[in-house]
Formats: sequence, C-alpha cells, structure tokens
Amino acid sequence: MRIYLDHNAGAPLRPEVRTAIARFSAADEAANPAAVHRGGQHARRALEQARAQVARLIGAAAREVVFTSGGTESNNFAIRGVAGAHPIRRKVVSSVIEHSSILAPLDYLAGEGFEVIRLAPDSDGRIAPAAVAAAVDTDTALVTVGLANAEVGTIQSVAEMAQPIGRAGAIFHVDAAQAAGRVPLRVDDLRCDLLTISGHKLGAPAGIGALYVRAGVALAPIMLGGPQEAAMRAGTPNLLGAAAFGVAAEAASAHLDEESARIAALAEQLLTLLVAAIPALRRNGSAVHKIANTLNLTFPGVLGESMLIALDLEGVEVSMGSACAAGAVEPSHVLLAMGLSRDEARSSLRLSLGWSSTAEEVERAAEIIARVWRRVRAAEPLTAAVSAGTAASTEATR
Amino acid sequence: MSARVLVAMSGGVDSSVAAAILCERGYDVVGVAMRLAPEDPTPAIARRRGTCCSHEDFEDARRVAEVMDFPFYVVDLRAEFGARVIDNFVSEYLGGRTPNPCVMCNREIKFDRLRERARALGADYVATGHYARIERDAGGRFHLLRAADAAKDQSYFLFTLGQPELARTLFPLGAMTKAEVRARARELGLANADKAESQEICFVPDGDYARFVERAAAPQRLRPGSIVDLKGRPLAAHAGVHRFTVGQRRGLGLSASAPLYVREIRAESGEVVVGPREDLVAAGLLARDVTFVDPESVGADAIAVETRIRYRHPALPATLAVEPDGRARVTFANSGGPAVTPGQACVFYRGDEVVGGGFIERAL
Repeated sequence: MRIYLDHNAGAPLRPEVRTAIARFSAADEAANPAAVHRGGQHARRALEQARAQVARLIGAAAREVVFTSGGTESNNFAIRGVAGAHPIRRKVVSSVIEHSSILAPLDYLAGEGFEVIRLAPDSDGRIAPAAVAAAVDTDTALVTVGLANAEVGTIQSVAEMAQPIGRAGAIFHVDAAQAAGRVPLRVDDLRCDLLTISGHKLGAPAGIGALYVRAGVALAPIMLGGPQEAAMRAGTPNLLGAAAFGVAAEAASAHLDEESARIAALAEQLLTLLVAAIPALRRNGSAVHKIANTLNLTFPGVLGESMLIALDLEGVEVSMGSACAAGAVEPSHVLLAMGLSRDEARSSLRLSLGWSSTAEEVERAAEIIARVWRRVRAAEPLTAAVSAGTAASTEATR
Repeated sequence: MSARVLVAMSGGVDSSVAAAILCERGYDVVGVAMRLAPEDPTPAIARRRGTCCSHEDFEDARRVAEVMDFPFYVVDLRAEFGARVIDNFVSEYLGGRTPNPCVMCNREIKFDRLRERARALGADYVATGHYARIERDAGGRFHLLRAADAAKDQSYFLFTLGQPELARTLFPLGAMTKAEVRARARELGLANADKAESQEICFVPDGDYARFVERAAAPQRLRPGSIVDLKGRPLAAHAGVHRFTVGQRRGLGLSASAPLYVREIRAESGEVVVGPREDLVAAGLLARDVTFVDPESVGADAIAVETRIRYRHPALPATLAVEPDGRARVTFANSGGPAVTPGQACVFYRGDEVVGGGFIERAL
C-alpha cells in the first residue's frame, strides 16, 4: 500500500465524492444549466445546490460564488479582473511567497506598467500586517495574500490586514486554496473582498474551483463569451465538477473541528517520530500560525531530490518545492524567502496529510522515512562538491 | 526481489531500448534523465534538436517509461556537471588543450555521481545505452570490451571505469548493432525509434566551442597571442589559444603555398605554432592520469598495446611503459600516425579489450 503524504498538491477523491460522481454519471439527462428545457432546469438546480454547498464552506451567500476551472483561474481572475475593473489605480501589493498562479499574473501586471509590491516574510513565513498597511495607499487597486502557504503551511493574519486596505479603497483578495476545509473560514471574519478556493485540495476532482466575489465588488471578466455565472465567467459550467466540489465542501465542513484535530494529531505524531529518529531535523514555518496538516522539514545532510525519489520507490509520496517544466525539482522560493540557504532549501521536503491519512500510515511512513534518510545520507552525503558547483555552472550560464 | 537498476536515459533510442531490455529481463528498472547543462539563455538554441537535455528529450524518455511502466525521474546534476565537466572543458581549452567532455562526464557524472545516487535509491546497478561490453571471468575480474557493432563502439569513452564501477554497471546494448536497436525500438512502439543521433557536445549545441569558452571564462583568462611558424616568426595575431586544436588546418586565416597545420599550442606565451603536414608525425606521446581497467593485469614492464588517440581513429600498435609518477610513455610501432592532440583521451586496447587509458599531455 502506498502512503500519500502530498495532500497539498491535491487530495484523493473523498468517498462521498465518488458516490456523488457515480450517481451523477448514472443520470440520463444531458445537462446544460442554461438550457430552457426541463433537463436544463434540473442541471441548473444541481449547479445551484453545489454553489450553496460551496458558499456554506466559507460563510458566503451562494450568489457570491463564481465557479471557475480551479485555483489558478480564480487567482488569475481576481488579479486581472481587479486590474481591468479599476484602471485608474496602478499599484498591487502582495508577497514573494505566493503561489505561481499569483506571482505570474503579478509579473504580467508589472509588464503592463503596474507598480507591484512584493513583501518579504519573516523567518516563519509570516507577512507583517503593518508592512501591508505601510505599502497600501489610495493608488492601490488590489492586495492579494495567501491565507495558508502551500509549502510551509504558515497562516497569515489576514483579518488584521483588512482595515487599512479597506480604508485605502483597495480590493482585498485572499488565496485560501490550502486553508479551505482545513480551518474554519468565514469571509466576513477574514474581511476579504475576494477569496480563492480549489476543488481538488478538498477531495473533489481537479478542474473545478471558485472565486468568492463580495456583493458589490466589480471585476472585469477574463473569460469572454456567454452570460454564465452572472456574466462573470463565460462558458458552460463544469456541472459534474461543481457537484463533486459541493459534496466535497460539505464533507469537509461537516466534521471540520474533529477532522482537523485528528489530522493535527497525526502530523504531530509523525513529527515526533521523525525528530526522535533523525537528529537535527528541522521544521520550517510558524509553530503557532499554521495549517496543522503540513510538515515542511529540512533533512540534515541529504538532497531533498534524492529523498523524494527514494521515498517514492519505497511507496511514500511526498513533494519538494515545485517542479520545473522538465519535471526536475527546484528549491522552494518560499523557503529561500524565509531565509533558508539554497542548500537548506534543497534538503527540504513537504509532507502534507489529509482526510485519507491514518495513524497506521503515519507510523509506517516515519519508519520508512528514517530508514531512507539513513541510506541516502550514507550513500550520497551532501558534500561541499555537490553544492559548491553552483557558482561554477552559473559562470557558464551568463 | 529482483535487482534494482538505475538507467540513465537521454530520451534517445539507445538508452530507451537499454531500459526496455532490462525491463524484459526482469530487473526493477528506475529511469532517470539528468539535467546537466545550464539552461541556454537563447530560446532559439534551447529549442534545437540534438542536445541531450532539452525538455523535449525528457518527454521522450518519460514516454518510454510510460510505455514500459517503470518509474522515471528527472534529476538535477547541473552543479556537479558545471564543476566537474564544464569547468574542466573551459580550463583545458584555455590551457591550449582539446578536451573530451564525454569522457569526463562518464568518469565524473555517470559512473561516479550517478552511482552514488543509485546507492541512495537502493539500486544495485547503473545502466546506460553505451555500446560496449562488460564480461566477468572465472576469477571474478571484470573486462571492458569493444561493442559487437564496431561502427558504434563507445568503449573509448569508458576507459576510466575500473573494477568497482564495472561490477555495478550494465551495458545492455553491447552485443547489438544500431540497426537491431532501432528495430527493437520499433517493435516496442517507442516513438523515438528513428530519432536522429546527437553529435554535438550536449552543452554546446551550436558546436561553437570558442564562443562557449569566451562566454564562460572571465576575459583575463583568455590567452591571445601570435600564430608563429616553426622558426618562431609571427605570421598573424589571434584572439586566444582556445580557438585552436593541434592538427587543425581550417580557419587559421593564413595564406601559404602549402597547407599549414597547428603543431603546438603554447598557452603561457599565447603562441600557436604552425607548420606543414609532415611535422605532425610523432614517435609517441606522454599521457597523464593513466588508469587501468584491472590494475592487477598490468605489470611493471612495458607492454604491447594498440592505442586510440581520438574516438574515430584506428588503433595504432604501440608500446606502453608506465612511469613512476603515474604518467605513461607510449611509443608508436610505426611512424606516420595522425596528429597527437594534447587533452584528448588515449585509450589502450589489447584486441577487443580495453586495458586502460589516460589523457594526452604532449607528443614525443
């Protein structure tokens, strides 16, 4: 049996979701929710039910939820949608530790002449609300901050950032793709205007997500065409995905407190077992402000790349930073921003638990990880030669 | 449990078939594609075919792994490749020598760094798509032999392998011809069955070594100077000794009644000595960093070998004597050999067997 410790990359389908998809597939009605006929009406009812389920997960009204193709589209929509709807304001505030689906649209805006402020985190991966307050002004169109960081799990105090943002008249977007379903979320408590959530992090299939758009906030659509999703997002909705998303959202919120406590205990147990077996193992990220499922760990004296592959061959699936286009792993930009050296970042792995994790898996994973670490360290020590070469090859890159 | 083997995959047909054959033989195959060359900053060049580490080639390797259903990973060895292969390549050119980076890559990366990685991954063997054979004799000693396909034989690039390496290395293609390998690839439905061979050095896809050296090295390391004749008379100025190779005729920018060849490169003074063809003939050579595939098989006495002083050259009968300092003195049996080019590998054979080799220091 393989052990899946990569929930932050995407969770396996929840049993409730599998059932819902099977039931949905068995239905004999073609389904375009915009169609006038009875089949269309049933499809529309299913879509709106899913919207209400997703809205409940984040404490929003159903009409404030726009379905998208996933977290990446939601983030693109938030950033480009605000920039397009507020052409007078020419400044955007964010941080350097955001997901690539935030960073790349910000680069795009910078290329369009926007001033883009990217705040640096502290060594825990926390963005100071005071730094946001200092950066935001009446020329600021948007502030976008990730609620829980995908790589280290650190949670930002977004509610404390909201007041100066609102006072400056800027829109506040929060990327909650990693937080949704793991901590209780209410958009009114977060005091945000826009919120990204993603289906496959919750145990729905990939290809469905949502953007919460607070009533009254103007966004320029980035997908043009028909008037679907209240004219915010053209294209026939992914009804099957939305239905699965709704069921996943409901399942995640149903026992959120017990389930997040269970996963937190498992993660603590895993960390305790690993710390006992691996001297000088270090955890990255805030010990206090965090989603409890995520363990970002620096393994002394080994390359994370080797650990990741060796663990996969032993049936334990983990991840490291983000993969490049060729499929090789790169050191995490988040860890580098938190002040880790390149070597430390290259020795770090992310283990993320979720609904499918069990105590038995955690015990077995800890045993395998410790064994693999000992083997990798003995066979392939992280020597000066391995890391010192970087400078030499960069000389040739120029 | 079957033995685990780490297969170095370039995306080309050879390493793909090698991996497939090992799968069929029941090995626990783990495919790896190595990121070696630093990303080329020019997209037009990065897109070119024929380099060994472009994304497209990784995708070909990945497809083979999908077809044969074995795990496949891309590993980042750019730092090691930069420090141990590219830096050496640049320093050798700046020192007036003509390096062979494929030999260095085999010695430093595929059969050193990658062997470490194999052990880290619990693999017993490293395999590649090289055309060469390994045989184990009754006494447990390993022998490195030329490939069955003489036209594809790559044993020249592998002379640095010793007993510990050979004991843990597999060359599944050693007994096959290239035509057989392509036929196997088509049988297996591999998309790269008819893919073109890579010819250039992988990190210099445009083949312009001089420009690569000039971009990689700090300007003060370049050694400009004069092209001089055999009597030391200057004939022309040049921009750096790295632009020349001993034995080179073309591109000297000289006009003379008879063709002139580079005979010697003096990196310290920046002098490139040219002369007519006959002056290239050497009686022998001095090699450094000499290693033997099986040191126990080589005694203190001089031995008769055939030596190849360039990949595509025929082996020349010669006598080999190892000096106390680890250098070897190679005396050719017949005169009239090709140009002896410092920096190139010289590899010693006895029949089909690789005895060992070293790097050419100078002609004798």
